[in-house]
Amino acid sequence: MSGKKPINSAIARQERTFTRFMLGQRWEHAILILSSFVLLITGLPQKYRGMSWSQDLLSTPERVEFIRQVHHIAAIVLALEAIYHLGRAIYLMARRKMSADMFPNMQDIYDAWHMLQYLFFLRRDKPVYGRYNFEQKVTYWFLFFGFALMGISGFIIWFPVQFTQFLPGGVVPASKMAHSTEAVVAAIFIVIWHFYHVHIERLNLSIFTGRLSEDEMKKFHGREYERVTGQPASKLDEEK
Amino acid sequence: MRLGKQIRSTHSGISLRASLTLLLGLLFFAYGVVSFVTPVQAEPVYQEDKPANDFCLACHQEDGLDFKLGKDMIPATINPTQFGNSVHSDEGIMCVDCHTDINDYPHPKVKSKNARAFSFTLFVVCKQCHEDQFLKVQDSVHQRAIDGGNTNAAICTDCHNPHTQGRLTGKTSGELTPAARVNIPLTCSKCHSVIYDAYKTSVHGNALTQEKNTDVPTCIDCHGVHNIQKPTTVSFRNSTPFLCAKCHTDPAIMDKYGITTNVLNSYVADFHGTTVKLFEEEFPGQPTNKPVCTDCHGVHNISKVDNPKTGIALRENLLVKCQRCHPDATIDFPSAWMSHYEPSPEHYPIVYAVNLFYKFFIPAVLGGMIFFVLTDIFRRIVNSIKGVKHV
Repeated sequence: MSGKKPINSAIARQERTFTRFMLGQRWEHAILILSSFVLLITGLPQKYRGMSWSQDLLSTPERVEFIRQVHHIAAIVLALEAIYHLGRAIYLMARRKMSADMFPNMQDIYDAWHMLQYLFFLRRDKPVYGRYNFEQKVTYWFLFFGFALMGISGFIIWFPVQFTQFLPGGVVPASKMAHSTEAVVAAIFIVIWHFYHVHIERLNLSIFTGRLSEDEMKKFHGREYERVTGQPASKLDEEK
Repeated sequence: MRLGKQIRSTHSGISLRASLTLLLGLLFFAYGVVSFVTPVQAEPVYQEDKPANDFCLACHQEDGLDFKLGKDMIPATINPTQFGNSVHSDEGIMCVDCHTDINDYPHPKVKSKNARAFSFTLFVVCKQCHEDQFLKVQDSVHQRAIDGGNTNAAICTDCHNPHTQGRLTGKTSGELTPAARVNIPLTCSKCHSVIYDAYKTSVHGNALTQEKNTDVPTCIDCHGVHNIQKPTTVSFRNSTPFLCAKCHTDPAIMDKYGITTNVLNSYVADFHGTTVKLFEEEFPGQPTNKPVCTDCHGVHNISKVDNPKTGIALRENLLVKCQRCHPDATIDFPSAWMSHYEPSPEHYPIVYAVNLFYKFFIPAVLGGMIFFVLTDIFRRIVNSIKGVKHV
């Protein structure tokens, strides 16, 4: 910690920043991006084998074998990352070292309703969010369950013989169906929902830098800002 | 030499008779020389003088004409009734059209060492009339075996006895007659008897041999007729699904028996079939370890799937097939393959449920996301026009 302090104070001279993601979490996100991207580009040609572009790519049995192995390796990387992520979160939360802010609560429903009213011009102010807003929680949990489903179904279709020792055979075609359909849903979700919110709505690089500026904290995570600093987040509150 | 002698004798004794003989002899000689030098017109020799079939049969319907060739007995007796019923007789083909070396009695001596060699000298005449079929056979697996030294491989006359072969195709339709179809497996069984025994018991073979049902495939429907190819090659294996599909996707045949025509689609939709289809189209010569129709259903011994003993609708029976590639598979594994069923509440409800879920889930997620994003963009545009500052 002592080694970091000079850097912090150096930035603080220009602008006060708030730690949003630890270095480990940022690495986790990088691994997630990489492995999911590899899984997607090696998975799509396998799903759309009837298409000519897929047949051009997988034009020899060796290439089919290769793309499968790459897919399996990326799957193992992502599975290990998921296990680490879950284990770390459970361990830290159990020891009260990590907030449970990511879990959905009633406030998210109110916030979403508030936002809906704002989008329909029924309110002039946007909701004031905590550490994670409802949109970010939707992203996290949508992909959380999506990846869980893809992980389980993926291992079922990878090891059908082993899984049918204790599961009915129908789970194999069901997994095959669910695995690739969920993958496409997740890919569309990331492009439309996640990319919109972190690139177009505003460029939010905190998952890479790990920090939010004071301005960003006030604007986008007002309640968290108030909780951390004890100061009011914005004048907007006074406006309404 | 004889001519020379004749000339000398005319000089020694002068008589009218002798000089006439000399004159005739010279004329013959001159004719002989002229006809030898000038090219003969290409008209069939003995066209009119060909001995009629009755002429041949006068002797050849007699018993006891068989003669010995090496260790083999060659049957030379022809049953006039059988021959009369044959297509060759019907078409007015004459004995000597095929037995081209015979014109009179006594016949020239057969030079072949045995019966098979004799057949080999004779069957080439089939080409005179059946050139198309004859040339196709040149590309066949049988011809390849012969070229490799196996003289037991079939030649024309092994399948088509020229003395008894009846008409195979309808005179006007040109299609194989039902009677001819029923007879095909018997013809092949003369050599391929083990396969015939399996075929006989199969759903196809049983229908053909017991019910004379000609909807079912005979040997030639899968193997071809004259240009029969080796069925153990990779490309033949890879093409199997499309071979079976010729009939099994044809509602005109399948509807009668209540058999689904979706078998190829459902096979290709699954990854086994997807791979095989790709191999068939892109690299037919490359072996694939994915199963084709025959790996589960059998080849010549195909049985009904709901056959209580051998049918693969029984998971125990299908498991045996699965285990050939998945040795550790257990009894629930075969149902991982949807048995050509479309998922429905009755068949594969889990898969049906997953499909149904995504049918609603995808539009709901897409719709929700697009709704939020578009309204957000709209509000931002309005904000910027109005000059409202907050985010």
